[in-house]
Amino acid sequence: MPDLTHLSFPLLLARRTTEPANRSSKAVSLFRTQKIEALDETHYQDGYKDGYDDGMVSGKEEGRQVGLKLGFQVGEELGFYQGCLDVWMSIIRLDQGAFSARVRKYMEQLAALLSNYPLSDPENNLQDMMKEIRLKFRVITGSLGAKLGYEGRPTSSEQDLEDI
Amino acid sequence: RIWKRAPDGAWHCSDVLEGVHESTVRSCAWSPDGKLLADASFDGTTAIWEYSGGDFELVDTLEGHVNEVKSVSWSQSGSMVATCSRDRAAWIWEILPGNDHECVDVLEGHTEDVKMVQWHPFFDVLVSVSYDNTIRVWADDGDGKWPCVQTLTEAGNSGHSSTVWSISFNQKGDRMVTCSDDCTLKIWDASIDLSQPTTGEGHESWRHISTLSGYHGRTIFSVHWSSEGVIASGAGDDAICLFAEENSMVEGPSYRLILKKEKAHDTDVNCVRWCPQNPRVLASVSDDGTVKLWELQGDILD
Repeated sequence: MPDLTHLSFPLLLARRTTEPANRSSKAVSLFRTQKIEALDETHYQDGYKDGYDDGMVSGKEEGRQVGLKLGFQVGEELGFYQGCLDVWMSIIRLDQGAFSARVRKYMEQLAALLSNYPLSDPENNLQDMMKEIRLKFRVITGSLGAKLGYEGRPTSSEQDLEDI
Repeated sequence: RIWKRAPDGAWHCSDVLEGVHESTVRSCAWSPDGKLLADASFDGTTAIWEYSGGDFELVDTLEGHVNEVKSVSWSQSGSMVATCSRDRAAWIWEILPGNDHECVDVLEGHTEDVKMVQWHPFFDVLVSVSYDNTIRVWADDGDGKWPCVQTLTEAGNSGHSSTVWSISFNQKGDRMVTCSDDCTLKIWDASIDLSQPTTGEGHESWRHISTLSGYHGRTIFSVHWSSEGVIASGAGDDAICLFAEENSMVEGPSYRLILKKEKAHDTDVNCVRWCPQNPRVLASVSDDGTVKLWELQGDILD
């Protein structure tokens, strides 16, 4: 305890003695402090701009790569379902009674879901729309007893979508 | 495995249905006319077997679930089958002539693994129970879809506070019993036909009647209501309990324990089922690898 109090006292005294005694030196040091602060600010701004510019370049490139990859995966999967649908529609044109009314309704619903999927303008609920499409497809193949499924690429598309 | 009872009373395994599923077969159910057997497999499919000419033959496979199918149930007419899965959905299938089928609807709503589905004995209503602690009731809207018409929760309906594992209706179809990881059994009034549109205000609902707690010390995995009104339960405490209804004039129905069979098995009792032919005979199965048959003797109503 005694040690501590002894330490603090001289420190306080030391601070007081270094404070400027008159107004002019106070103004000078105030000016100096402001200059230092301003310098800090410009350094900061320079660094920020550099970082931003570099980030913009590398970010755009990375985004492009991911977008290409994801776009390909989504496009391929949707294309697969559309292809199946086109075959089924051709069958219906040749033979109206090939599928039951219920299954034909499901196919129409799938067609609507596929055409509603925003291929050009990305929206927020892409994940949900894809899930709906996949489920409708499974309901149709489940009803046809067809062992059909979109195999996908070796790297799972579900995980990539989640990453985004 | 199919087990048959010989004239001398001994049971033997008459058939082994294999070579179809690539993973665990979790449960199975006979069709109402006894000619078909549906199973539920962890490989995501349900196989339908037909018994003809003394043999079992695979006649159809229901594919649609994304992962393990937990349970399968036939509607009372035999025209529909319901399945449920860890993928959180229940599927309703229409069984068509010529060993064909179609998907009627996919019931989404549970937020976790669906453990069991069971059709109401009379109404066009399906019940599902889940790891999400809730019981959901689904009904035909007349337009080919089966929306969820009721969800029985812990907070709103005095429901279970943990995974609901199993559900059984009484013979009359006006009561339902569920069992849970919360170590309780709950009895519900299921007398209202939720498939009918309600007239006027308010949606009538199935309501909680009674909670049976303190009888099992571990998760209750299975419950089954006999045609004589005896409720059997099997749990992770290796025991089987039997309950019967008591009708008090003043307070309405209550349920009392008739019997607790401790150490019914060496370990967890996974399923209990009353014999359709003899309502005093109970079958139980366990992780100990055995199937046991029990007979309830004596007077229940004392």
